[in-house]
Amino acid sequence: MELTRTDHDGRRDRLNHDWLRPPEGEQHHSTAPDGVTYSTGTTIVGVTTADAAILAADQRMSLGGRFTANKNAQKVEQVHPTGAIAISGSVGPAQRLIQSLRTEANLYEVRRGEPMSLRGLSQTTGHLVSGLPVAPLLAGVDQTGPQVYELDGGGSVLRDDYAAGGSGMQVAYGVLERRFDPDASTESARRTAVDAVAAASERDTASGNGVHVATITAEGVDIDGADDPEEVR
Amino acid sequence: MQSNDQRAYDRGTTIFSPDGRLYQVEYAREAVKRGGATVGVRTADGVVFASNGPRRSPLLEPESIEKLHDVDGRIGMATTGHVADGRRLVDYGRRYAHQERLRYGDAPDTEPVAKAIADYIQESTQTGGTRPFGTALLVGGVDDDGPRLFEVDPSGTPAEWRAVAVGNQSREVRAFLEAEYEDGLALDTGTTLVLRALADSLGELDAVDVDVATMDADGFTSLALDQRRAAFEAAGLGPAS
Repeated sequence: MELTRTDHDGRRDRLNHDWLRPPEGEQHHSTAPDGVTYSTGTTIVGVTTADAAILAADQRMSLGGRFTANKNAQKVEQVHPTGAIAISGSVGPAQRLIQSLRTEANLYEVRRGEPMSLRGLSQTTGHLVSGLPVAPLLAGVDQTGPQVYELDGGGSVLRDDYAAGGSGMQVAYGVLERRFDPDASTESARRTAVDAVAAASERDTASGNGVHVATITAEGVDIDGADDPEEVR
Repeated sequence: MQSNDQRAYDRGTTIFSPDGRLYQVEYAREAVKRGGATVGVRTADGVVFASNGPRRSPLLEPESIEKLHDVDGRIGMATTGHVADGRRLVDYGRRYAHQERLRYGDAPDTEPVAKAIADYIQESTQTGGTRPFGTALLVGGVDDDGPRLFEVDPSGTPAEWRAVAVGNQSREVRAFLEAEYEDGLALDTGTTLVLRALADSLGELDAVDVDVATMDADGFTSLALDQRRAAFEAAGLGPAS
């Protein structure tokens, strides 16, 4: 922990996130028997409406895209009073990313007396995800309205009105390109997001086993999950 | 010559005097006595802090005088004495609490946070070239063990209290609390008690200058000015100016 009095290198105000990174010179290579790590495979979707942002994800964690290692993976998590993240990529680094992001957002809030803006949250996520085999979607609501961001391990941070990620993204985009409507109600946008994940779950071998969906408004984040997508539509 | 030799013992924090005292730490306690009167009370369902910080000038924005601090949404901290030193300790506490969250995935309880800050303060009394923190602080919060209230002084000694005062007039305020404190108070009765304790020793108070915060199961809450005015009235301190 970099909390000692001798820590005067200008990083004194920061938290130490070294635990996100592999040791020096080591890549994120696998220790699993067949040379692959647990990966989300995944279909994740983010959609905005006039006053809400929706994130949806499937529940399958796969090994090499060929074996379902877990059928109850929660890939959508709250990280901010009005912000959530959906993960795709390697599960371990992604879970640590969520912890780090949640902690940074909370530290910011107690220091400044107000929550981070979504722009600030997306930048922080960009710094943290850089170099990791993770490509998340971030969504939330702040004073400037509902927003969705796509990010990747290269550190890119791209804002959009809707986005999809993960191995099932092409199927999901097929649904979104036909159905996305900026004037849709929150309920209708939620159905679109769930349907996009459900469609990808039918055809992408690394996606399936149900849907988690987060509805984010200025009031907060509400996350539901079900093995049958119909139940959370 | 004797007096010169004697005086030399207060030059460094790391040097004991022949009678076993650390003069710089005692001077730091004097700095604390010059800080605003600060009270903490443990109640049945939470901890209440109140701190008085009169403005040097009517032009000074009252909100800019920092006295009570949110550490991580659950735990609160009250500082008195050297404001600049207090800010360092608050930020240390914040980083410590959040680094613990990162490491264990869970928010730390009140006691470990108070003791981590205490250990950090103690370092300054045993490290060459440093001066002690001229700040006393209260750390409060509600965790699985219920409401907890700790005081940490410039020597780095932590102590747990049911009700405590630090800063200006602390002796008088403590005497009031010793006479008036009861176990099992409701949180709003505790709020009344902290305000009465300050008013009893300091005389007339202005709600604008007194910060009040509660830490209960819902976490840290700082009272806005209209809520503080209502609390003043509830404490029988009249409509504050």
